[in-house]
Amino acid sequence: MIRIVEPGWATTVQDHGRIGLAHLGVPRAGAVDRPAHDLVNRLVGNAVQDATIETAGGLVIEAAGPLIVATSDGTRHTLRPGTRLRVDPQPDRVWAYLAVRGGLDVSVVLGARSHDTLAGIGPAPIVAGAVLPVGPDPQTELTTDYAPTRALAEAVRVTPGPEADWFEGGTEQITARSWRVSGHVSRVGVRFESGSWTRTPAAHDQLASFGLVEGAVQVTPRGEAIVMLANHPTTGGYPVIAVVDAGDLAAVAQTRPGSSLRFVASSIA
Amino acid sequence: MRRRPYGPTAWIIDEVDDPAAWASGVRALGSTAIVEVVPAEDTVVVICTAGAHADVGSLLDLVAPVDRPATAESAIEIDVVYDGADLSTVAELTGLSVEGVVSLHAAATYTVAFCGFSPGFAYLRGLDERLHIPRRSTPRTAVPTGSVAIAARYSAVYPSASPGGWHLLGRTGSPVWDVDEDPPARLDPGRTVKFRAVRP
Repeated sequence: MIRIVEPGWATTVQDHGRIGLAHLGVPRAGAVDRPAHDLVNRLVGNAVQDATIETAGGLVIEAAGPLIVATSDGTRHTLRPGTRLRVDPQPDRVWAYLAVRGGLDVSVVLGARSHDTLAGIGPAPIVAGAVLPVGPDPQTELTTDYAPTRALAEAVRVTPGPEADWFEGGTEQITARSWRVSGHVSRVGVRFESGSWTRTPAAHDQLASFGLVEGAVQVTPRGEAIVMLANHPTTGGYPVIAVVDAGDLAAVAQTRPGSSLRFVASSIA
Repeated sequence: MRRRPYGPTAWIIDEVDDPAAWASGVRALGSTAIVEVVPAEDTVVVICTAGAHADVGSLLDLVAPVDRPATAESAIEIDVVYDGADLSTVAELTGLSVEGVVSLHAAATYTVAFCGFSPGFAYLRGLDERLHIPRRSTPRTAVPTGSVAIAARYSAVYPSASPGGWHLLGRTGSPVWDVDEDPPARLDPGRTVKFRAVRP
């Protein structure tokens, strides 16, 4: 078992999320940086979809028994009972992950152990004093002690969204400059500072809400672009100018408020 | 049917008048490469597995809308106590009496067009045109679970407590959302729904 000494910020249990329920209004949820979540699981010999802890930092855990854990800086640790470990994101990143060998054995709700930030489905956010159960040893071999973490994409690939034709030049309006992340850290989406947009005659004032996908780049009436992350609502009513490639979503999720990133045009294979 | 790419792993079918039926049609394809089928106001979004985009696109060209048969088993009847906070406002806005509002709302047969806003929140079509009024100009910060409400051409039952801008006509004690049920939402797309006025 893991005991939570300090919950830190925005700390929740996450896995690969709830799949196949979007038509009932159930967000997928799950880790916002899925490659990092999968990496820590592999380091402790878990299946990649086992539940981990996701945190924006400041998390301190204590081993309530002997534990093998890994953190998203790519390191594995063997903890004796009573040993404490602090978990923070790597420099210039937003999110860190902690896996424990055996996975976190919290209750499955609608097919996942993920906390859903929007609707509160699944395990509650992690608080001080909480004790999280750990699943049985997976009986796998531990092969590597250390895994170099993946560099994040420097330019985030996008393809045109359903309303790209509302904007003069389509996705050029977001690939032509760099964008600074504003606001606060969120599992729902990354918000960028307002841009000035040149609309085409195809643009309308109103858009009936429609299904959202992870990576959808919405443009709000106030002119902010928002990239939808794992915990996005199932539907939305803002125009979607572009969609971020799944492989580059981690780079968006891990960009800190105040930092900037670039988008680059890509094509659908 | 018009489909357009929506990123490397999704398609959007737009300009559909019966999204639930189109969503059923997509599900009827039985493709394991299709992960999510999300109907909304006049669209259906189809999310597929990585690498299956082109194949799923060709499959979608074969889709036809499928209506769910309105059998007795598939219809859900919901008991409503019509004592909502907005009854008199709705009566004023529509020029009807309170009794008139209640009887029109309870007389209609509804179909779930799609879900959204929050888990299990179903947009019910079939609302009498005389009850079509815009949302409240100021949304409430808290609407209780089970509130039965209307806005624009839709009726709905709040599956959980949430903020909300719809006009409240009444309340029901029968839950429409339960994570321990399969499916967790009683009012899923295509479902037929009737309301019945009951005493408190």
